[in-house]
Amino acid sequence: MVARSTRDSWEDAPGVAAQALAIQERVVQLAPADAEAWETALTALREAGNAEGDGARRDFELERKLGLAAAAPLEIAELGADAAALAALAGEHGDPAYRADAVAAAALAAGGARAAAHLVEVNLAVRAGDERLAQARASEQAASEAAERLLASIR
Amino acid sequence: MSELSTLTDAELVQQCRAGDTAAWNELVERFSRYVYAVCVKGFRLGEEDAEDVFQEVFMRVFTHLDTLRDDAALRPWIAQLTRRLCIDSISRSGREQAAAEPVEEDVAGDLVEIDEAFTVREALTSLPEVCQEILDRFFAQDQSYRTISAELDLPSGTIASRIARCLRRLRDELEGRNEPAQGSRE
Repeated sequence: MVARSTRDSWEDAPGVAAQALAIQERVVQLAPADAEAWETALTALREAGNAEGDGARRDFELERKLGLAAAAPLEIAELGADAAALAALAGEHGDPAYRADAVAAAALAAGGARAAAHLVEVNLAVRAGDERLAQARASEQAASEAAERLLASIR
Repeated sequence: MSELSTLTDAELVQQCRAGDTAAWNELVERFSRYVYAVCVKGFRLGEEDAEDVFQEVFMRVFTHLDTLRDDAALRPWIAQLTRRLCIDSISRSGREQAAAEPVEEDVAGDLVEIDEAFTVREALTSLPEVCQEILDRFFAQDQSYRTISAELDLPSGTIASRIARCLRRLRDELEGRNEPAQGSRE
């Protein structure tokens, strides 16, 4: 919205708006995929608690399903970081009249990245040394820094 | 990238007319995905029918290239030829009882999308390689800024603005191409 409203005064505005739309489309597609993957993992968790038989095979299958369930929030965290970076760019170069909107967008994106990283860590029982968790945390941090930087610039 | 791949459509047509075999190969290479997309995504032909239309299109291009009135209008001409042959194929197979026109109306939206996608693809090739790379990674491969930054060894804070600048160049390129061209008698 900030980029679209700044087309006349900022030559990169259409390109920033196009990227924002692309990110939006990806998130919209990921949300149901995230819910579905988590549902599958939840069912696997319940079944693992009740099932008897080959424990190693069951653990392997459970880990695979949890891994799949971690993929969507991990990607959402990355998109949150990208959205926050875009909002920061729009806030810095766009029409000052819309800077507060850019700050709000960056804060929301950072919140989304944080929530997604939290889902990767807690809900999916990912261990501390897991590469995916490190990636999710890096996205969370990048989003948060972008939002903070923008906020600091208007205070 | 071969030298021929940098030629405009009009230049490529001239080379083909001069009997350059490599130019013919480039023409087929340049338009094969387009023709196939129109057949399969536009008209939803089966693999076998699409293959037949594909062969027929390029055979006709080969034999009728001299009838093309405006060399720059190669793509619209191939598009028209492909659409007509797809409709013939559908009629022959008896899948559609309706006349050819309603069939084309049904798929008009898809054809416009395919056409736009190929126009953008074509315009992309005229941008600097770094722009092609960065736009392809972000919009076609859905890569994040972090991934693009790591793989292209660029500062992550500059990716969004680089993409915006490349999009601006792409838009300028596309706007420069929006001049109407004439088709052929074929």
